[in-house]
Amino acid sequence: MPRKIVTSLAAVAAAGLLLSGCTAASPETPGTSDGGSASSNATFTYAIGGDPMSMNPINLNDRWGLTFANIVYSPLARVEADGTVVNELADTIEPADDGLSVTVTLKDDLKWSDGEPITAEDVVFTYTNKAVRDNGNADLLYVGDQPITASATDDKTVVFTLPSISAAAISNIATETYIIPKHIYGDVTDFSVTQLDPAAIGSGPYKLDEYKPGEYLKFSANENYYGDAPHISNLILQILTDADTVKTALQTDQVSASFVTSAQVAEFDGTNVSTYPYSEGRVAYLGVEAEKPALADAKVRQALFFALDRAALSDAAFLSDEYYELAYTILPPSNPWATEDVEKYNQDVEKSKQLLAEANASDLKLTLGYIGTDPAQVAEATQIQEQLAEVGVTVTLSGVDASALYAELEKGADNKFDLFLGGYIMGLEPDAYSALFRTGASANYFGYSNPEVDALFTAGVAELDEAKRGDIYDQIQAKIQDDAVFFPIADNKKIIAMSNSFTGIEEARLVPIYSLENFGKLAVK
Amino acid sequence: MLGFIARRLAQVIPLLLVLSMVVFLLIHLAPYDVVDSYTTPAMSEETVAAIRERLGLNEPVWVQYGAWLGNVLQGNFGNSLATGLPIGDELARRIPNTIILVAPAYLTALVLAIVLGLAAGSRKGSLLDRIIDSISSIGIATPSFWFALLVMFVFGYVFRLFPVFGMHSIGKEGDVGDLLLHLAMPYFVLVVAFFPDLTRYVRSSTITQLDEDYVQVQKAYGASNGFILRRHVSRNILLPIITQLGLALPLLVTGAIVTESIFAWPGVGLYILNATAALDYPVILAVLLLSAVLVMLGNLLADLLYVAADPRIRLAKKAA
Repeated sequence: MPRKIVTSLAAVAAAGLLLSGCTAASPETPGTSDGGSASSNATFTYAIGGDPMSMNPINLNDRWGLTFANIVYSPLARVEADGTVVNELADTIEPADDGLSVTVTLKDDLKWSDGEPITAEDVVFTYTNKAVRDNGNADLLYVGDQPITASATDDKTVVFTLPSISAAAISNIATETYIIPKHIYGDVTDFSVTQLDPAAIGSGPYKLDEYKPGEYLKFSANENYYGDAPHISNLILQILTDADTVKTALQTDQVSASFVTSAQVAEFDGTNVSTYPYSEGRVAYLGVEAEKPALADAKVRQALFFALDRAALSDAAFLSDEYYELAYTILPPSNPWATEDVEKYNQDVEKSKQLLAEANASDLKLTLGYIGTDPAQVAEATQIQEQLAEVGVTVTLSGVDASALYAELEKGADNKFDLFLGGYIMGLEPDAYSALFRTGASANYFGYSNPEVDALFTAGVAELDEAKRGDIYDQIQAKIQDDAVFFPIADNKKIIAMSNSFTGIEEARLVPIYSLENFGKLAVK
Repeated sequence: MLGFIARRLAQVIPLLLVLSMVVFLLIHLAPYDVVDSYTTPAMSEETVAAIRERLGLNEPVWVQYGAWLGNVLQGNFGNSLATGLPIGDELARRIPNTIILVAPAYLTALVLAIVLGLAAGSRKGSLLDRIIDSISSIGIATPSFWFALLVMFVFGYVFRLFPVFGMHSIGKEGDVGDLLLHLAMPYFVLVVAFFPDLTRYVRSSTITQLDEDYVQVQKAYGASNGFILRRHVSRNILLPIITQLGLALPLLVTGAIVTESIFAWPGVGLYILNATAALDYPVILAVLLLSAVLVMLGNLLADLLYVAADPRIRLAKKAA
C-alpha cells in the first residue's frame, strides 16, 4: 500500500528545540495587501515555534508561554538588560533597610481588561498561589526552604516579607510574576493546571480573542491598558514548527516577524525583511564531568581547555561574530556582574600537552554528549573532536535527543558522558547561576563541588552592598574557571527578522525570552 | 455475513489491548519522560518532583497504564502532558482537517494510477511503459519533505501563487476559495507521494492479467486489444484496487505527517509529530489506537468489498 511517510522527526525536533521560529498566516490572500495602512486596523503576525506549554501565569515557564503572558498580563515591574528597573503596575517599589521586606504601591486607576479595578488583593492572590510548590513554579518566591509572603495593607499597597535576607529576592520580587485577577480566578482550587478558565483576563497591552492550538493565538488591543494604546490593534502569534516555512512566509510577507537562524540571514538579502541580532544573555558551554576518574585531576581538565579555540568553535556554530560574543565565565558577557578577570584558557597547545604529561594522562579517550538535532552543537562537537585530537585526546561523539542528554546527565557520576555541550539563559541575577555550580544543586551536571564557591554563593546572596556583592561574584567566576569544569564558549545571539512594513523595534525592545518587551510599540511604516 | 463482521470486530479488542500495552511499555522504556523535555536549570528538584507527581509519572508503569485504560474505556483520552489540552477535543478538530487534505489527494492519485498503470501495463516494454515506469521510480525515490520544500519554493515563493502555510487565512474560516488556495500545494505534494506506488501496483496487475488464459482465448476469437482491456482485464484489475481503498483507511489519520508539518496544516500529523518528540504518551497512544482501529476496519472493509465485487469469493464459515 502507498505509505510514503518519510518522517523527518529529527528536523522537526530540531526546529522545536532551536526555537527556530515558525510561520504566520496573514489574514489576506497572498499578493494583496490588507489595504489598511491606518494602524488602527493593521495586523502584526509574529511566528512562534510551538504552542505555549502553559497559559497559566501561576506556573508558565516556557518560552512561548512567557511570550503569551507578556502580551496579555503585566508584572509589577521588569528589569532591563542593563539592570535598571522599569515599573509596570507598580508606582513605587521600596525595599526596607533591614532587607527583610519590600513595599510595593500600585499605580492609580489600573483596570483589568474586563474593566474591573486592579487592587493589592489581586497581587497578594497571585503571589500566594505562585508560592505553592505543587503549582510548579514557586522557586523564585522561596528563600532557602521558606516562601516569601505577601499581604495587602490597603487597596494599593502590598508588603512582601522575606523569611531571611536575600539580595536576589529583594531585587527580583517584583519582576517575572504576571498578576492575575482574583475576581475571576478566586474560586479556582487547583493552580497547577496549564489552562485557566476563562482564558486570559489580564492587564497587558492586548487581550486574547481566540486560541486555536497548533495554529494561532489572536489578540486585539486592550482598551483598559494603563500604558500607551498599541499602535497596531491586531496581533497574531502564528504557530509554525518548520524553519523553512517560516523563512518563506517572511520572504512573502505572510508573516511580519519571527526568530530566524544565522544561516538564514543571507536569504533575506534584497527582500522586504531586515534582521536584528541581539543578546539573550545565553552562555553556550562545554561541560566536564569532574566525578569521572579520568577527569578528577584539575590539570587534565585545564589541559583540555587549553587545547580548545573558542573563536573557532563559535565561528563554526554561529557563522559570524555578528551573531555571538565570546564568553569567559559562567555569566554571559552582557551581564552587569560579569568579569573578564579570570583564566580565559586562550588556546595554547604546548601548555595543554605539558599539563597532560604532568598529570600522566596519556592516551585519554573521552565521550562527548550533545544534542544531535542542534546544528550549532553538531558543529561545536566536531570542532572539539578535532582540536582535542591535536593534543592526543580521542573524543567519541554521541549526539542524542535533548531530553535524553539531560536525563543521562542527571545520573551523576554513572552517566555515560565525560564531556557534554549545553547552554542556558539564567537572567541578570547572579545568584540564579548557583543552581548549576553549588554542591549538589539541581542543575549541577558537572559533579562540581568546591566548598569555597558554596560559601561565596551563600555570602553573595545575603550581601546587600552592591560593591561588596560584585567582589564576591568576581571571586566565584574566577574560582569556577580555575577549577575547569565549565568551558564557556559564547553568548550566541538571537536573531529576529522583521518586515520593513513595520517600524518601532527600538521602542518595542528586543528582550530575552519574550522576544519583544511590548508588541504595542510597533507601528505600521 | 453479519456474523462474520461481528467475529472480526470482536478480534479487534484484544489486539488493541496488546498494542496499547506494547506501546505504553516502549514509551516507558525510554531513558527520559515528558517532563525532561521542558525542565530548565532554574527549576528546583522539588518543583520537578511536584510536576511529575501531578502527572502521575512517578507511579509504577502498570498503575499508569491502568489509570489510562480506565479513562479510555470511559471515552476519555485524557489531556496532553505537554500542554494540558484535552486530547479528544484536539483530535475532533484535527481529524477532519487531515481528511480534507488526504481524501482528495488519495482519490486523485488512485485515478491517475489506474489510467497510467493500465496504459503502461497493456503496452509492456513500449516507450510509454518505460516513461511511466521511470516516473514512478523517481516518485518512489523522492523524499516527501524535499519535494514539499521544492513545491513551496516554486509555487509559494517564486510565483507567489499560494499561501505557504495553514488551512485558512485568519478571519476567512468559511471561505471555500481561500481553503482551496491553502490546499493546493499540500494536495499536490500528497498526490505525488501516493501515485507512484499505486501506478506500479496497477501496472503489475495488468501485466499479470494479460498473461492469463482467458486473454489468449479472447485473442484466439479475434477480439481487439482495446476490447479485451475494457471488457475483461480492467474489471479483474479493479478487484485488487477496490481492496486498496480499504487498506488506505488509516491514511486518513496518519497519511500526511511530513506534508502537514511543512505546510503547517492543522491536522493529526503535526500533532503526533510534536507529541512523539516530547514523549507525550497520552497523545501518542490516542493517535496510535485510532490508527490501529482504522487499519483493522480497513482490512475488514477490504474483505467485504472484495466479496461484493468478486462473485467467485465466498466468506469462509470461520473468520479468516
